[in-house]
Amino acid sequence: MAVLDIKGVSKFFGSAVRAVDDFDLTVGNGELVCLLGPSGSGKSTLLRMIGGFETPSAGSITIDGDEVIHLPPERRPTGMVFQSHALWTHMNVFKNLAFGLKLRRLPADEIRRKVEDVLKLVGLTGYGTRQTHQLSGGQQQRVALARSLVLEPKILLLDEPFASLDQHLRERLREEVRDIQQRMGITTLFVTHGQDEALSMADRIVVMRDGRIEQVAAPDMLYREPATPFVAGFIGTMNLIEGEVKGGKFVRASFSHPLPIADGPAIFAVRPEALAIAPATGEGAARIHRVTDYGTHGLVDLELPDGTRHKAMVSEARDWKAGQPVTLAPRAFAAYRDNAVAYRSSTAS
Amino acid sequence: MSLSPTSDIVGASKKSGGLIGLLLVAVPVLLIGWMIIYPIIAAVITTLWLRNDAGAYVFSTQTYRFFFTDGYSLANLGLTLWTTVVCAIILLVVCLPIALYLRFATGRLAVYVQGLAIFPLFVPSIILSYAFIRVLGPNGMLDILLNAAHLPKIRSPYLTPWGPVIGLVWDHIPLTVLILMAGLGSVSDASIEAAKDVGAGPVTRLWYIILPRISNSILVAASFAVLGIFSAFTLPYVLGPAAPEMMGPFMQRTFRDLYDPPNAITQAVVSFGFCIVFGLFYVRSVVRNQRAR
Amino acid sequence: MAAATTYREPRRVDWAGIGFAVVLTLCIILPLLVVGTWAFANVWRYPSVLPQEFGLRYWNATLARADVWTAITTSISLAVVVTLISAIICLPAAFAFARLQFPGRSILFFSFLAGQAFPKFGLLVAIAGIFLQLNLIGNFWGVVLIQLVGTLLFMIWIPVAAFQGVDRRMEEAARDVGASPLRVFWSITLPQAGPTIGAAVLLTFVNTFYETEGAWLIGAPAIRTMPVLMISFINNQPVIQYGAVLSVLLWIPSFFALLFARRVISGGSFARGFGA
Ligand SMILES: Nc1ncnc2c1ncn2[C@@H]1O[C@H](COP(=O)(O)OP(=O)(O)OP(=O)(O)O)[C@@H](O)[C@H]1O
Ligand SMILES: [Mg+2]
Repeated sequence: MAVLDIKGVSKFFGSAVRAVDDFDLTVGNGELVCLLGPSGSGKSTLLRMIGGFETPSAGSITIDGDEVIHLPPERRPTGMVFQSHALWTHMNVFKNLAFGLKLRRLPADEIRRKVEDVLKLVGLTGYGTRQTHQLSGGQQQRVALARSLVLEPKILLLDEPFASLDQHLRERLREEVRDIQQRMGITTLFVTHGQDEALSMADRIVVMRDGRIEQVAAPDMLYREPATPFVAGFIGTMNLIEGEVKGGKFVRASFSHPLPIADGPAIFAVRPEALAIAPATGEGAARIHRVTDYGTHGLVDLELPDGTRHKAMVSEARDWKAGQPVTLAPRAFAAYRDNAVAYRSSTAS
Repeated sequence: MSLSPTSDIVGASKKSGGLIGLLLVAVPVLLIGWMIIYPIIAAVITTLWLRNDAGAYVFSTQTYRFFFTDGYSLANLGLTLWTTVVCAIILLVVCLPIALYLRFATGRLAVYVQGLAIFPLFVPSIILSYAFIRVLGPNGMLDILLNAAHLPKIRSPYLTPWGPVIGLVWDHIPLTVLILMAGLGSVSDASIEAAKDVGAGPVTRLWYIILPRISNSILVAASFAVLGIFSAFTLPYVLGPAAPEMMGPFMQRTFRDLYDPPNAITQAVVSFGFCIVFGLFYVRSVVRNQRAR
Repeated sequence: MAAATTYREPRRVDWAGIGFAVVLTLCIILPLLVVGTWAFANVWRYPSVLPQEFGLRYWNATLARADVWTAITTSISLAVVVTLISAIICLPAAFAFARLQFPGRSILFFSFLAGQAFPKFGLLVAIAGIFLQLNLIGNFWGVVLIQLVGTLLFMIWIPVAAFQGVDRRMEEAARDVGASPLRVFWSITLPQAGPTIGAAVLLTFVNTFYETEGAWLIGAPAIRTMPVLMISFINNQPVIQYGAVLSVLLWIPSFFALLFARRVISGGSFARGFGA
């Protein structure tokens, strides 16, 4: 169907704000790529540049090899779904869906058929005559999705479409969108704040920070092999212990662990589930600060003598007490230096 | 009604809009310049630079000296000031209780009272004048009712200085109430309940909690009333005494009936002078309000 | 044990409300009722509390007068012309203020307040001084001009608020499905801002219809609008009913304003436009 190619795209607001900075990405045919990143990292700006609502300061955007950067939004083969659904409140559902088709001068019966098809696709058969304010939040968002889908865009752009919905609805719509997207094989770029949303939907995830790509990877790789400390901390929970390597040993306060890299500063990264603890006789490496029981497992907050806190997962919370001294044994870990991986243990975390 | 920046995250800010924008706003802006700003400046200049016998323009305060030495002009100015002050005071005394009531009352009666208070907005002042005469004028409804109750007639305010006062107050009630209510809207229930909590009575609450918060709105309402009343024309012309008269009818008569534009314009500039403080204060409040949003 | 008695909140009588309602009804509704009664009184001689004879006699008499009809047509054509011109020049300007970025935007926007800083009739006299030199006194277009200026503030500020109230994303969504900027304006922006703009247009029409002072100062005696005619009825017409019938006729536009524009007025933004 369609391939989206973004090359060297930048967007500056004034001279100070680099909302998107030299961005490269190729989204393959029928692929769903999630843009994930903290607030202000430039996700919306990137999406709006692809949709044509913002002009890049530099770079090129092609769809199936055709440069689109000089086209206004109405001439681009993209469909955008906005966070606030942006339905036209002075039109009913049918008219919202038919508007774009009418602009394409399709005959009335074909418009009717297409609208009915797409209503069925998003599970809203028979809702055509409803006014937009007579719909629930989830239904409104489905109509917004349908409004884009009915025009069969080459590229579907979604900017946090479910952000205003509650958790339960969000999970359901997430699955529906993934379903529809796969059935139609439509190339999709999806912006989100939420890592679980990204992890559950995406073929690939782009982690953004300050307008730049931190890492592009499949969801499982992103969790297992985060490329930078930022990604490590952003996806899931990760203990990031800043310290010093001396003579093949990483040291931070009372914690030390063999680390076969050159001497110098380093960040030791270990996931809570990969950090084993054992009761210590005497001082130990850390002291238990608090134990939280989640039923299926427990989470232990550890405090190093210098006051820094870290987490370890335990199978049975009742075995552990606050104030208890423990030793730490990382089962799998990585180390970062200069914002890149310097070492990864063979059974990577 | 605020002018928010157009370059927010949502909108594609249009750099090319500069020229188009200026073109689109050009006509109304030029109209304002030609029909408001220029006449005001011209009024000041033409009354201060008069043509002498030789045909040259020389600086002269003659028309102003005439105004401020002429007994009749001064009497008119005095009447206007008196009417303005009396109206402003009555308006505040009448409208503040209504606005306070509407701020704290709920229910159908409050809706009715609000509807009534705003209703004069939908009655043109000329109809109001007519109704005034039919009710308070000679042999009007009030006389009829007093007669039916075997009471003596009252002295009719029609064609006395009180005529315009009553009419102008009636006319200005809606906007005064609306402005005061908008001000009262910013007094939170919580701050009043907190005052109740520490034992403040109604008078204390009004004086120390509510009034300080709405003092600006009161000044705005007063300025608005002063600007409207100082040069009111229709109501004083129809309801007021023939002499002395308020500045509005005075200017009109000087301009149209006496064919004396220079003196009429002098009178206009004098009324600008008396209102300028209120005018600037009023405009400043509007601008500040707009920017705050 | 005693049977449980449920506490009932004592019903408080809203004395203040009753007081305001009664006084305001007497002061605001009663005078207008008197005028309405006069319009339908064939005979009402002092000191009878009610008219001796009701009827439509004076409606026929009033509507048979040529000066009344000239005044009606003059008033309507003035109000229509002024409202149309005002809409044509102000709505695009309002759109520009709301949506375009151009130098001096803010100061130009506030320049429409210039007229508010001065007492109105004084301003009219100053303008009339200029019109005198341009031969616009006693001229239809002179009256149009002076009334037009009076409409600018409302016709710009209210629509600016209306345009700014339209969600940008709605417009972007329309661009996204293929609508040109002009089409977006026509199909999305205008319908969304429509009700408020409609109210502004209606208020402009009504205000112009009732504008008395400019019409009197600039237009008299050639241009006689209904309010101006009403003044002369009050001053020189011994038959009371003529004025009463004209008052009822005059009130019709206000009645429509009352029906359609009330919500805009009681909404806070209207009062805020006055600096509250
Ligand atoms: N029109 C604009 N003018 C100036 N700065 C802008 C504009 N639009 C975006 N920015 C800035 O660009 C940066 C990226 O914004 P963007 O909206 O793309 O972030 P985001 O990743 O979508 O954030 P969020 O998750 O909060 O939606 C921010 O610092 C923002 O302040
Ligand atoms: Mg965003």
